Amino acid sequence: MKLLKFALDTAKSLGADYADIRVHHNLNEMIYLRNMSLKNTSQRDTYGYGIRIFLNGAWGFAHSNDLSEQSLIRTVKRAFTLAEQSGRIKYNGGLKLAPERSYVDIYNTPYEIDPFDVPLSDKVDLMMEVNKTMLGFKDIKQAMFMLGISKEEKLFASTLGTMLEINTMYIEPTFRATAVTPHDSQSRSYRNGGFAIGWEYMEERDWLEKAEKVAEEAIMKVKAETLKGEERRSLILDPMHLALTIHESVGHPTELDRVLGWEADFAGISFATPEKLGKYQYGSEVVNFVADNTLEKGLATAGYDDDGVPNQRWYIVKDGILQEYGSTRDTISQLGNGLSRGCNRATNYFDFPINRIPNLYLEPGQEELSPNDLIEDTEDGIYIEGQGSFSIDQHRVNFQFGGDMFWEIKDGKRVRPLKKIIYKSNNPEFWNSVDAICDRRFFGLFGVTNCGKGQPGQVGRMTHGAATTRFRNIRVGGSQ
Amino acid sequence: MKEKMRKLGVKVRQLCSADDFTLTMYYNQDTHVRFAQNGITQHIDGENLVLNLEVAFDDQTGTASINQIDEESIEMLVHNAEAIALLNMPDPEYIGTDGARKLRPLNKQAEATVNLDVKEMVDGIELCVNNAIEKEAKVSGISDKHIYKNYMMTKKGFQGYDERVLFSHSMTMKKEGVETKVSASVQDYSQFSMEQMIKQLNDQFDSLKEPQKIEKGRMPVIMRPQAFLQWLRYLAWTFQLREAEEGTSPYTDQLGKQFFGEKFNLYSTVDNPILSAPLFTRDGTPTKNISWIENGNIVNMQCDRFYAKLKGIEPAMMFNTVVDGGDDTEKEMMSKVKRGVILNNLWYIRPVDMKAGEWTGLTRDGVLYFEDGEVKHSVTNFRWNEILHDATKRILGLGKAVQVEHNAIVPTVLFDDFNFVDVTTF
Repeated sequence: MKLLKFALDTAKSLGADYADIRVHHNLNEMIYLRNMSLKNTSQRDTYGYGIRIFLNGAWGFAHSNDLSEQSLIRTVKRAFTLAEQSGRIKYNGGLKLAPERSYVDIYNTPYEIDPFDVPLSDKVDLMMEVNKTMLGFKDIKQAMFMLGISKEEKLFASTLGTMLEINTMYIEPTFRATAVTPHDSQSRSYRNGGFAIGWEYMEERDWLEKAEKVAEEAIMKVKAETLKGEERRSLILDPMHLALTIHESVGHPTELDRVLGWEADFAGISFATPEKLGKYQYGSEVVNFVADNTLEKGLATAGYDDDGVPNQRWYIVKDGILQEYGSTRDTISQLGNGLSRGCNRATNYFDFPINRIPNLYLEPGQEELSPNDLIEDTEDGIYIEGQGSFSIDQHRVNFQFGGDMFWEIKDGKRVRPLKKIIYKSNNPEFWNSVDAICDRRFFGLFGVTNCGKGQPGQVGRMTHGAATTRFRNIRVGGSQ
Repeated sequence: MKEKMRKLGVKVRQLCSADDFTLTMYYNQDTHVRFAQNGITQHIDGENLVLNLEVAFDDQTGTASINQIDEESIEMLVHNAEAIALLNMPDPEYIGTDGARKLRPLNKQAEATVNLDVKEMVDGIELCVNNAIEKEAKVSGISDKHIYKNYMMTKKGFQGYDERVLFSHSMTMKKEGVETKVSASVQDYSQFSMEQMIKQLNDQFDSLKEPQKIEKGRMPVIMRPQAFLQWLRYLAWTFQLREAEEGTSPYTDQLGKQFFGEKFNLYSTVDNPILSAPLFTRDGTPTKNISWIENGNIVNMQCDRFYAKLKGIEPAMMFNTVVDGGDDTEKEMMSKVKRGVILNNLWYIRPVDMKAGEWTGLTRDGVLYFEDGEVKHSVTNFRWNEILHDATKRILGLGKAVQVEHNAIVPTVLFDDFNFVDVTTF
């Protein structure tokens, strides 16, 4: 903390209006097993710091992995020069920072067993067993298991007087079986995303049972038929599938930097513009989207964001109406006098923090309702589990999604598996077509660890959640 | 930097007791100036050096990486990689490292790029912003300068050092319902003209007034080079020999056969000085000219060292992308079909069906409708679902191949019957 204070004092002595420094120490372990061959067993250790200087309404950011006093001075001066140069072409007359107070605090991801303390052989043995189980099925020709574990220690200090120590952890197991026949190949995955939790997550589950199910369904899928043309039908989507649709069609459009056009050149902008706040019917009346960076096991839950703003919980959509955005100190100030919702996050020490999707979930329904009840109540529909193909335009309006497993529903019964199913919809049609959401018992979380955004690109993480939900009258059909 | 890397390599060699190892070092120095809505929003600068060590005891492997180079950190790097390997299960597909290989001489790096400073980068952005203001529009984008240095050594004697410098710039101009983008990356900044890029942006922007909606369906498209390159990037991802032979890609049993259209030729080259071409790939294989598709025939596919050894062939990786062009102008292409659309770019391309080779995506940055040899008006965007290898069988015309990125030369292509499956709302 002494060195951090030294950097901030240097920034102030140069005349910075505001400055902050983040020191990151990231430790990542990755094990990748493909058909019983360990393609990658690695540990990556990254250490460094980034300094942001705000001067006359413009940012400068410089980073280094040398924590000596001389390097700190050099890096602060570099960030200052960049801020001066940025100030030549000011955004909207100059960026502003929303007010914020100072905090001195420590945050730790709650966990019981540190996955870095678990012997490598225990991890590899488990992965081998899962792979062996999947390859034990005759038609399974490829079996993959990827285990990612990450620990991040971060120190943050700002000229507001904030001093934070943030220690986060997450774990992400993913495996996939691919079935091959003479004319086709189809995969089925176990993929719940990452969770901010320790190794206990791995000990609490029966992985071999899941591996068998994945392999069986991959075989079922490769032998399944597809649908011919596109028709309007009911869709029942499971929580793992919904995590992706929520991410793409609600999370990204309500990032305030996109709304302001800051991502216009690459990721794109948003249809959910400020004049729609409080009025726009984003979804039907049963649709409520909650942003919650205090969510237990949430990947965006870290106590504070990289502006030093505390994690919060708020409604993005309430009773179907667009309420608010995910924001940062420099984006929210463009809308007036509001306070930041604390969504500014950088992935690595060398990344400039950007407006990120918070943990975001669809609230479960109030009435008692199970996925089986939904199926029984559906005459003609498709039930989709897990995630597949996904593509959405740069305004976040028009999209097409696939899935990982598909079932045809006829007269209230799941009648047969299907493959190669895609559906097309748009905002606001899609979320306004929701007529039923299962209750809290069927709520599931999915952690996203690969959210690409920004120039230069960063890979962010957050958690989504939902209970199984029904959509009416959506265009669904088979691919070519 | 080369000497510093070499010394670090010597240190690792002294410390490493494994049967085999590969040490790879990546150095990068980057400056990024990001602007949005006519103002600079981010400005980033810094350097980083990463050491990645893969070791093997017999066929037990382990990898560790660090970005600190003090003695203690180097010792930790070696210790961690070795500890992982010793605790690991044997890898049946591990093959040992290569010994010394002959590499091409190091290319001289462009001084103009190396010496480009922040002030000059901001000067360039100022030109773009002033242009947008003149057009009563908003421009957003990024200017980047990159310096990369890369060193690789193995226990068995392979040593390679490579350098690359790049300048890239992209920008999107938007006014009401019209938005369009141009982008470029070059090795030599002296070959880059911001004025020319602004002109290209203005030409595209001016051509896109008041887009109208037309029906979806199959129709001819003139796909400009940037758009075609976006799609080809995904071809490179799936064009793997092993996946083909395991039956999970569309290329199963197609090596040596005509699978693409006969007008389609794709290769990677080390001979064109404007194209970046690393001296060696990330697995240490020296790069050389390689043809992937000749007159529609698949002649080579990408292959890693393990699978190449198994098949008794050379490992291969698509390190840059060249597609042969032709002589057609856009005007001539328009006259070859009754009607169609011209696409500036494609967006959010994702696989729909890996086995079928079917992809989906949208159009972006402007679509023009033409009929009877003339552009009539701009149109709103489409979603498309299409099979790339099938589409190449429907090539009716090829324009002159042009440099699109530092590592790609691609022509404008006229495809017949392109499959637009939806119209979008803007």
